[in-house]
Order: sequence, then C-alpha cells, then structure tokens
Amino acid sequence: MTLKLTRRQLLEAGFTTAVVGLAGVPLKVLPAEATGWTWDKSVCRFCGTGCGIQIATQGGRVVAVKGDPASPVNRGLLCAKGYACAQIPYGADRLKKPLLRKKGGKFDKQGDFEEVSWTEAFDVMKAEWTRAHKALGPTGVAVMGSGQYTIMEGYAASKLVKGGWRSNNLDPNARHCMASAVVAFMQTFGIDEPAGCYDDIELTDTVVTWGANMAEMHPMLYARIVDEKLRRPGYKLLNLTTYSNATSEAADLEIVFKPNTDLAIWNYLAREVVKRGAVDQAYVDAHCVFAAGPTDIGFGLRADDARAFAAEKDTLARQRSIVLTRDEAIARGLDPALRHERPQSAASSAGKHWLITFEEFKKGLEPYTLDFVAALAKGDPDEPLEAFKAKLKMLADEYCAPGRKAVSFWTMGFNQHTRGTWVNEQAYMLHLLLGKQAKPGNGAFSLTGQPSACGTAREVGTFAHRLPADMTVENPAHRTHTEELWKLPHLAINPKVGSHITEMMRDLEDGKLRWLWVQVTNPFQSTANANHWIEAARKLDNFIVVSDVYPTLSCKVADLILPAAIMYEKWGGYGNSERRTQLWRQVILPPGEARSDVWQMMEFSKRFTIAEVWGEQPVPGLEAEGFEKGKLPSIIEAAGALGYKPTTTLYEVLFATTANRAVKWPDRVAAGRPNSTVTHGKLDWFPEKALFEEYAAFGRGHGHDLAPFDVYLRDDVRGLRWPVVDGKETPWRFNDQYDPYARKGSGIDFYGAAMKKLPVGDLNGTTPGDLVGLPGKAKIFFRPWQEPPESPDAAYDLWLCTGRVLEHWHSGSMTRRVPSLHAAVPEALLYMHDKDVAARGLLVGQLAWIESRRGRIQARVAVGGRNRMPRGMVYVPWFDEGVFINKVTLDATCPLSKETDFKKCAVRISKVA
Amino acid sequence: MSHLLRALALTLLLAFALTARAAPPAAPRPIPDKELGLSRTSVFEVPSPPAWKAEEAAPGDRPVPPRPFKEAPPVIPHAVADFLPITATQNLCVDCHAIEGPKKKGEPTPVPASHYVDLRHAPEKKGEKVAGARWVCISCHVTRSNAPPAVGSTFRP
Repeated sequence: MTLKLTRRQLLEAGFTTAVVGLAGVPLKVLPAEATGWTWDKSVCRFCGTGCGIQIATQGGRVVAVKGDPASPVNRGLLCAKGYACAQIPYGADRLKKPLLRKKGGKFDKQGDFEEVSWTEAFDVMKAEWTRAHKALGPTGVAVMGSGQYTIMEGYAASKLVKGGWRSNNLDPNARHCMASAVVAFMQTFGIDEPAGCYDDIELTDTVVTWGANMAEMHPMLYARIVDEKLRRPGYKLLNLTTYSNATSEAADLEIVFKPNTDLAIWNYLAREVVKRGAVDQAYVDAHCVFAAGPTDIGFGLRADDARAFAAEKDTLARQRSIVLTRDEAIARGLDPALRHERPQSAASSAGKHWLITFEEFKKGLEPYTLDFVAALAKGDPDEPLEAFKAKLKMLADEYCAPGRKAVSFWTMGFNQHTRGTWVNEQAYMLHLLLGKQAKPGNGAFSLTGQPSACGTAREVGTFAHRLPADMTVENPAHRTHTEELWKLPHLAINPKVGSHITEMMRDLEDGKLRWLWVQVTNPFQSTANANHWIEAARKLDNFIVVSDVYPTLSCKVADLILPAAIMYEKWGGYGNSERRTQLWRQVILPPGEARSDVWQMMEFSKRFTIAEVWGEQPVPGLEAEGFEKGKLPSIIEAAGALGYKPTTTLYEVLFATTANRAVKWPDRVAAGRPNSTVTHGKLDWFPEKALFEEYAAFGRGHGHDLAPFDVYLRDDVRGLRWPVVDGKETPWRFNDQYDPYARKGSGIDFYGAAMKKLPVGDLNGTTPGDLVGLPGKAKIFFRPWQEPPESPDAAYDLWLCTGRVLEHWHSGSMTRRVPSLHAAVPEALLYMHDKDVAARGLLVGQLAWIESRRGRIQARVAVGGRNRMPRGMVYVPWFDEGVFINKVTLDATCPLSKETDFKKCAVRISKVA
Repeated sequence: MSHLLRALALTLLLAFALTARAAPPAAPRPIPDKELGLSRTSVFEVPSPPAWKAEEAAPGDRPVPPRPFKEAPPVIPHAVADFLPITATQNLCVDCHAIEGPKKKGEPTPVPASHYVDLRHAPEKKGEKVAGARWVCISCHVTRSNAPPAVGSTFRP
C-alpha cells in the first residue's frame, strides 16, 4: 500500500520546512530499536509535580518517553503515569470528528450522536449561544476550564469569555483542586503561590504531610523524600491522615485523625508553641500581624432546598443555622451545658477579616488543650487515647525543635475541605509563629494536583473572579489595566464575579445557565452530588459542548462533542507547584479532525461581531461604581474610538491583533517541529507564542515575571521558577537573599499587596476605628475548629472519603486507556475496615451498595492493601466512571474558596442482594 | 530532513490504514450516548462493576511480559501482597532483585545498572546500593490483573 504526498499536503500537515517530492513509501512497522528516533524535552501530562520528560518520536508518532535526567524536579525518574505519557495519545477510541446529537438531520437534544463537520458544529454551537445570550445575557453562557489548560489556552479562554463575551462565567476544575490554597495565600500574604520550592525537600530536617498521600499522588516528590531519608539519619517524615495510606509506609510517625479535626490539631500546636516559648518573637514582630474573621459562615451549600431530594434537606438546613455541639461550645469558650443556636449569618461575607492582638489570638487558642484535642481528633477508634496523645506531643516537639528545619506539605486533604481556606491559613499560622517560613528548608508548602493549576488556572487567572497576574474583576484599577492591555473600551470588563464551577452546575439546574462549553476537564464526573447535574444537563433546555480527546462521561451528557488535540499534539506550557514554568514543542499531529483548543477558541471567536456582544447587556445583581445597577453599558461607540467597527469580529479584537500577527510562523524556535494551530487556521503567525508573550506582559514588573518564550525552549533550560528577573529564577520568595522583589535588608518581606488594609477588632468582630495598612507583613490567623456539614449518624453511619490512586489520573480518561495502568487498577474499590465489612455480612471482593442522602452506587469491597481504613470510615477513588462515586458525595464547599469537600460525607454500606 | 518526511509519510499511511480498517466508507450510524466511553451504560444507570483478580502467580511462575517500549519499566508478573509494604528499612523487592545481571533463567530479573546511579547527587558514578530515589519500586513498576483492557491501544513502539 502506498500513499502519495504532495508538497501542499506536507505543508498543511505542519512540516513547513519540508521539501518537494516524496513518492510512495511502503507501510511497515519499524522495530523499537530502530535508529531515527528524535528526542525532545517536554513535560509530564499528569500531576502538579511537573516532572521533565524526554519524548521520542518516529514516523510522526510517539514511540517512547523517559524521565529527563537534566530536570531538577525528577532527575531522570518518572512514576508509572509519567511513563504512560507515550501511550496516552493512542487509545483506540480517540475522538476524531465533531459529534452532534441529531434527529432527522437537525440538532435535537434527544437525538443520538452523528458525525458533523466543524462548520456545522460551530454553526449549531453559535446559534445555541445566541439563543442563551438573548434570553439571559452574559451570565447565561459559561466556559468550564481546567488546571490542565496550557497557559496559552487559559489565556485565550480568559480573553474570549471576559474580554469578548463580557461574562465572568469562566471557572476551572482547579476550583475543586486548590482554590482554598489560593484564598489562603491571598489572605495571608496578599499574593498567590508558594514561597518555597522543591529544594526544600533536601534542605529540611522534618517533612510533615497533612492530607497529602504523596506516595501515590506525587510519587516523584515522595521519591525525593525517601531518598533523603535513606541518605540522612535524623531526617524525618510525619504523616497526618484520616486513614493509614501508602505515605505512612516510610514515615517515622503516622497520626490518623478524625475528618475535619485537623483545625483543632493546628490550634493545639499553636497553643503549644506559645506555651513552650517557641515563638520566634523577632520574626513575628518584624513580619507578622494577627487576624481573625467571622465564624458562622455556613458550608457553601445551596441556601434553599427547593430542588433538594427529600433526604438532603436535613444537611441543607445546616447552611442556614446550626446548634453547637458540646465540643463546638467548648472550642468557642462557651458553656457546653447551654444550647447555642447559631444562624449562619456570615455565609456571604466569609472572606472578611480584621486585625486582632496577640492576646486575643492566645485567647482563641486557649480551649485547644492536649486533652480536648486528643479526644476530639483521634481517628482510629481502636487506638488508645494515651498513644494518640503521645503522638500529638511528638508532632509538637518536632515543629518546636529549635535549629531543626520543617516543611509542611498538603494537597487535597486541606484544600477539599469545608474549612479549606482556614486550614491552609493555619499551616502558615504555625510556620510564621516559629519563624519557619520563606527560608530554605523551612516553610508551609501547598502542592497542587494538576500540571498547570498554578501556571494557568491561578497565574493566568481562569477563575470567575480573576484577571491575569492575581488581579480581580471586582477591582476597578485591575479592570482598567486589563482593558488597556487588551485594547478594549473602558467598562468592557464585567465587574460582577461569575459563577464558580459548582455554582455553574446549580445555575444549570436553576435554568440560569443555558450554554456551557467544557474544555480539558470532565466536570459531570468530577462534581459532587452529580445526580442533580446530569439530570439538569440532559433534561432541561440548555446546550452543552464538551471538547475532549476521548469520550468521557461528560461527553455522554453533552449535546456537541468536539475532538481535541492532546498535549504532545500542540504547543503549550504548564506551571507546576513550585512556580516552575515549562514550555514544550508540538511533536506529533492530532489525528483525524482533532484540533487544538486554541484553534477551537480562535475559530469560534470569528463568529462574533462587536455589535452582537458589546451592546448594553443585563447582568442580574451587578452593582458597581460607574455601572448602572444590573447592567453592562454599551461600549460599541467607545470601540469605534479604538478603531473597531461594529462588524469587527472578536477574533480580530482578541487574537489576530496587529501585535500578535507580528509574531511570525515559521519561527526558528520551532526547530522544524509542526504547529497544527497554524496549519488548521491557515495562519502566518504563531498564536501560542503571541498569546504567551501578551500574557507575560501582565506579570513582568509585578512580581510574576516570566522569561521570554524562546528561553524556555532552549536546550539548556528545564523550566524556570518565577519571578524570573534579569534572567534569574527565584527559588524562595519574600526572602531578600533570593527574591528581587523583597526589599533589600528586610530579611523577609511579605510584599504582596492584596488585602493589606484592615480594620481592627477582637475574636468576635471589628471595633470602630481607621483601617491599618500592613506593608511587608503576613497575617497569622486564628481559625477555630468546627463540626462539618454532615457527620455519620444512625441512618448513614460511616464517613466516606474519596481520592485517587497512583495509577490513574483524575477521571481516568487517559490512564484507563493505557493497558498496563488499567490492568494494574481496573476498577475503583471500596476500601473498608474488616470489622465494618463483617458487620454488614459482606466479604472482600463482593459488591456493595454505597448510599448517601444524594445517591447510591455499587463497588467491590477491599480490605487492607494500599489504604488501611479505621473502623467507621470508607474510601473510594473517583477515577472510575463505572463506580460513579460523585453521585454519592456532598457538594458542600469552603465558603471562602468555593472548593468542594470531597473528603467527608456520611454514607451507609449494604450488601447487593 | 529526509527521515522527517519518511516519518510523516508513515504516519499518514498508518492513520490511513487504521481508519480504513476501523470505519467502513458508508455513513456511520448514529451513536447513542450510552455506547460512548468506558462504561457502556447510560449516565442514569448504576452499573455493577465486574469481578477481576489481581495477579496471583508466585515469583518465577510467569514470564515478564514485553514492555510497551524499551524505556518503560517492566510490569511485575507476580503477586506482590506478601512483599509489601516497602518501608525505610525493609524492601523485599530489592532483597530478591538486587542481583548481578544479566538475567539467568529461573532467577529474578536483576535490578539494572541504571538503578544504582544517584542522578541527583552523584550522576557520574554507579553506587553500591539501589539509588534512594528508586527505593519505592511500585511508584514505577505496576502490578497486573486478569482484567481485559478497557479499550484497545494503537500505540506501537
């Protein structure tokens, strides 16, 4: 069999350096050892660690990957998922054509999927967008994005939604992943993202993991910890968790605590630090202030129960009012013998906070004695209380030890928490009190789950409230600055925060959102309390578009499925947990009609004129200075002054700008590699590079400096940790020896500018007086422990925690298509304690019902192995769409960060008859 | 340059061949949503997950399966439950596998020379012990079961 290629076809395929004349080539499969492999540097597709890989291609296909020995992150090693990067483009059911639900040749929500052209797909998609937009205005349409967006994709989405459509309904799955970390960074330091870096692993003496099963979720960081532990006697690993997990296996100490009591443990530790005289007074005096906020803030649940299932109503009632338990009364310094009902009156003002004195701070800590906290927090009913107490003391000893450096790591156990922001802030509380923050080997370090949760979701700002470089839509100066950089008329950007990703689901159910585009994520599998959302998506009048590489569960719910290019089929960049920005070249072509997400957004934007989207628009609830209530003004006239005509398209305004078109393709930096966005868009410019450089302008000079695009692609560069100033990266921020933004001579300078003017008050609220400015300071928050929204009771008697496994990534859409990973973990299991199994007449391997107030599913029982559960608690990973655990979970969120708590709700388990 | 072209040609040929085999030229029939994805059920149904068994073979009973590509870590062809956990002081995998290569018939697969190089601290020399960063074998080497693949893979090394 032969196929003739013309020069044109070659050019269209992206090989712009191609020469004429190739006749037939026989089809044969070359052996793996054949010469002619081309190795490129790249990045792993999966978690937030950001391992460097080398990727081999031959014949236009990926043939191998290996860990990049030059990468400081992983030094030549990869985990099982990392090696799978070679195989993830090649699942047999790759989406290669747009698929639209049709009946009788037309779009029909009740129809089956039929292959359509991109033109037809975009025609229907646009018609449905217009229908939703006419009915509801900019809040009727939304994009769900991702912490797996490339930097350029996230930036393109932000421009399209916020600049083009004047909607702030853009929110990433990263909301479910590390929004709590973000709010805590902003409130504590006034600027997002960690002070430290991975070098801290080798520089510290004690690593404490809190709600972070690094052995499975960040295996290559865990490898660095284990490596250091084996090399250095006295190096310690302490693991705090709600069940015994793989990270405990190499740990010196494991503390199994009851869900939600981590806040009490932190306060015990802070109380100990104060009591033992271990406060670094000079550090605290010079660099810190004390702060508190409202306490009755609800649980991020719906305020009313109009759409609730009958069984859900008792949990939902706690969103309005709670009666304090005995322990809660003690923790608040109240008489536990009395009844204390507390309306959740601060639910909508949970983010407010104010300064308090050190004396007030200590008063807040006072109830958190060892006796109180140990009894409250002990997570394994079979562990003696005295043994647990001894462990808490050892933990305090370890943190307080003078001269010993300490790093605390956490991930989803903290972030996915109804008090997620608070518990993040408590980690900083302790490290700041000890003066063990923002120094090499010392620091509280938030890890992320996704490859560009930091680089895209946070830094680019694809959240409903964000603009690039930590700016927000609510801040008039930030909006103006963005409008200037984007060359938009004044008042173009909507000042009202959009819906967060869980809220978007609720909006769908309420009919407030009727058009949704899902990119690089699988939200109908990943959002808690899923029965509501799949019902709303399939049965109400709305239009849902899902762009993906494979047919996911969200595709099954969609009306239109768009085939996307996978990571190595496009140019991109990711930013990892240590602020390391890493860019890669496209190395293979997307199959069939699959297209890059950048191409999809740019192409779709050609279908919008200014006249259509920039007229006066209704925005329910909008109230902002300079805006008429509930309205965005028309900016069409003002657009004229900028040289735009009513017929100018959003493509011309946002993407194909004069500056961007000057970034030419072909580009020497491509080193002969293709660019399918260019090919499919028939462009002579380089969108990914142009978008990156345009975005970088937001951060340069503002503490988020990125290096030029080409630098990241140099052979001798393996990513750079921002801020990159004068070609130099910054390993430790806020430290004047390393961070050029820290004032010289300050030692430590917490220079973040957000939320740095505060009222003064006490633990109960503010007192009258002027606002106090806090330049250079970080805040030490007092945050109380409280009961969660739902705890086990007589009807639902077990805690359910959900999470991940090493072998699978998120919803499994890529890893479950890799044969070895699927064979290793073919399905999600229900991990239980053997006594809980026996008490329900179950056997290991049998099918069981897992049922909550919200839904029920089946899974097979497992005991022991990688997750050893205490009595009273079960664990189910969420990667498996066949074990759809998010039909069971509760959509409660941290009221500050709006991040869902996937780590605790109440369930019952029974035998499948 | 020329091998780039050849490479591209091969891709297109492969793609063409695969498409030709997978999809007949007639208009494809409409696909109901339940036929998409890895669970062939409606999103409203509650499936009963199928039973499967982790590999039960003892070490040495079964051959090491071929790797998907040369650099990929081999799958563990035997049951592992009795050899776990790997702790800071105990590693039963290394106890058996840290032997001199090359592999001899009937003996464990030797830990390769690469695993004795500490790429972070001393990349230039082979150490005496398995590098600490490689201590947790199951971070990279996965186990297996009798579960059939969820879907096929067109990956070819």
